Amino acid sequence: MKIKGRVWKYGDDVNTDVIFAGKYTYTIKDRAEMARVALEDLDSDFTKNASPGDIIVAGKNWGCGSSREQAAICLKERGIGAIIARGFARIHYRNCLNEGLPIIISSELQDLIQKGDEIEIDFDLGEITAAGKKIKFPPYPEFVQGLVNDGGLIPHVKKSLGLA
Amino acid sequence: MGKTMIMKIMERAAHKEVHTGERVWCDIDWSTARDFGGANCTLQFDEITENKGKVWNPERIAFTFDLQAPSHSEKVSNNQKIIREFARRQGIKHVFDINRGIGQHVLLEHGHVLPGDVILGTDSHMNLLGAVGAFATGVGNTDIAASWLNGTNWFRVPDTMKIEVTGEFPCGVSMRDFLTLLVGDLGAGGLDFLAVEFTGDAIDRATLAERITLCSMVTEMSGKIGLILPSGAVLDWLAERAGPEARVRAGAIKPDPDAVYIETRKYDVSRLEPMASCPDAPDNVKPVREIAGTRVDQVHIGSCTNGRFEDIAAAYEVLERGGFKVSPDVRTIITPATTEVMKKCAERGMIEKFLDAGIVFTNPTCSLCTAEHYGALPSGDVGCSTTNRNFIGKVGKGSHTYLLSPMTAMATAVRGVITDPRDIVC
Repeated sequence: MKIKGRVWKYGDDVNTDVIFAGKYTYTIKDRAEMARVALEDLDSDFTKNASPGDIIVAGKNWGCGSSREQAAICLKERGIGAIIARGFARIHYRNCLNEGLPIIISSELQDLIQKGDEIEIDFDLGEITAAGKKIKFPPYPEFVQGLVNDGGLIPHVKKSLGLA
Repeated sequence: MGKTMIMKIMERAAHKEVHTGERVWCDIDWSTARDFGGANCTLQFDEITENKGKVWNPERIAFTFDLQAPSHSEKVSNNQKIIREFARRQGIKHVFDINRGIGQHVLLEHGHVLPGDVILGTDSHMNLLGAVGAFATGVGNTDIAASWLNGTNWFRVPDTMKIEVTGEFPCGVSMRDFLTLLVGDLGAGGLDFLAVEFTGDAIDRATLAERITLCSMVTEMSGKIGLILPSGAVLDWLAERAGPEARVRAGAIKPDPDAVYIETRKYDVSRLEPMASCPDAPDNVKPVREIAGTRVDQVHIGSCTNGRFEDIAAAYEVLERGGFKVSPDVRTIITPATTEVMKKCAERGMIEKFLDAGIVFTNPTCSLCTAEHYGALPSGDVGCSTTNRNFIGKVGKGSHTYLLSPMTAMATAVRGVITDPRDIVC
């Protein structure tokens, strides 16, 4: 699988409260509505203008803080093609996997690109093309890839129970 | 090679030898959800099982109502109703409704948590249960719903950092101040994917409340779990609540003398001073004296991090020494962690004194951890709080919050500006 998209660039320690504000966690249940308020307290430009296929590039510890899964859902539903970060906070890492939102750990990209640049990700080759350079990224760990191949945690557990 | 505490916990739950870095399926002792997020779990479970599924074990699932208790709107009420109906339908008896308090604390007080347990919850501060040697972690609703199918989930076996804390706290300084120092030292991502074992004479002497404070904020350094081996009065308390098995289980998670740690850090708290997390991040840390005099609009004492009786009693002492009066220019709110804590405050006559001093004393809830609660801050206001996060917009768009110890928070309420509590109590 290959995807191409515009970059939204952020720094370190972006927390789930600014990805999906706590005040919406009760009032919004509809996934499309969640997508509309994504990143509202971080970047109003993103909230207004992010398009399907766009790619988030962030620093260390993306998605720290509250465990709310809506922080992954709102980005998935917005059509974000992938999140590339130097690192992910562990609860959000699980939530992204569970929502089927591709996540890539890479430290080389951040200094090469600017907001709005177009980059390409080849998941089969494990390669990002950005600013005329090719950057390798590691595949998911084998265990995680097994979950992804089954379609996520729930299908995996159902399969193991003979329910799927 | 010796095993750390988290390895011993995971080996019991995975029924096999584990190694750091590998991912293993663990049996879950408790899979819990709170009002905030709980309805998402139940709706998802019903969806994936087409409304026909039975949970793996209704005795091992608990619901706690703590974030909005009582509900403040029809939408919240409807979410809470979804949870209650699911529990009835599934035969889940452990429902701690709006009258009990903060989930992890309530489970602990009711004797449901044993050292070495593996516990899931929808609260990212579940891991404060590491204070009694349990591995508890916050997860999203999919992880909870999946665990209800068969009582398992997967975890990466983390490396462990050892943090040795020695010395006696000086007057006016508490475990919260040490913790704030630690968050500043290690940073928001400083414990990424790591477990921590807290040891040292300061930890041996620490009350359950202090151990909870310490373990709860591991989340704010992106750690997986902070663990303290139950000992002394804490183990006695636990055995009284959870039964004699607590002693056996505590013995089973004792780290081996040759356990391998990726790093050992040492701190001496005997010269520590009051510390603050400044706007807008827990790791933006300064000594209180550097920000003293800052005008504030609201002070809040409570939360899963600092809402135990000992925390409120420490604030009470500052209020007493400050003349039993808070500044009329500051709105001061105290929220006990649980009903048990609230009753203890009532028995000691503290609540009457708080009310007479001009303080709002609320029922037990998570209270001002989010803007979705009474007391949310308007734009431009400055708040002080003993909660665990001061992310921008967290308790009201355009407001800013300082995170302080209960003593510093009360000293600030008394004077109306950020105040070093040593100016009042020492």
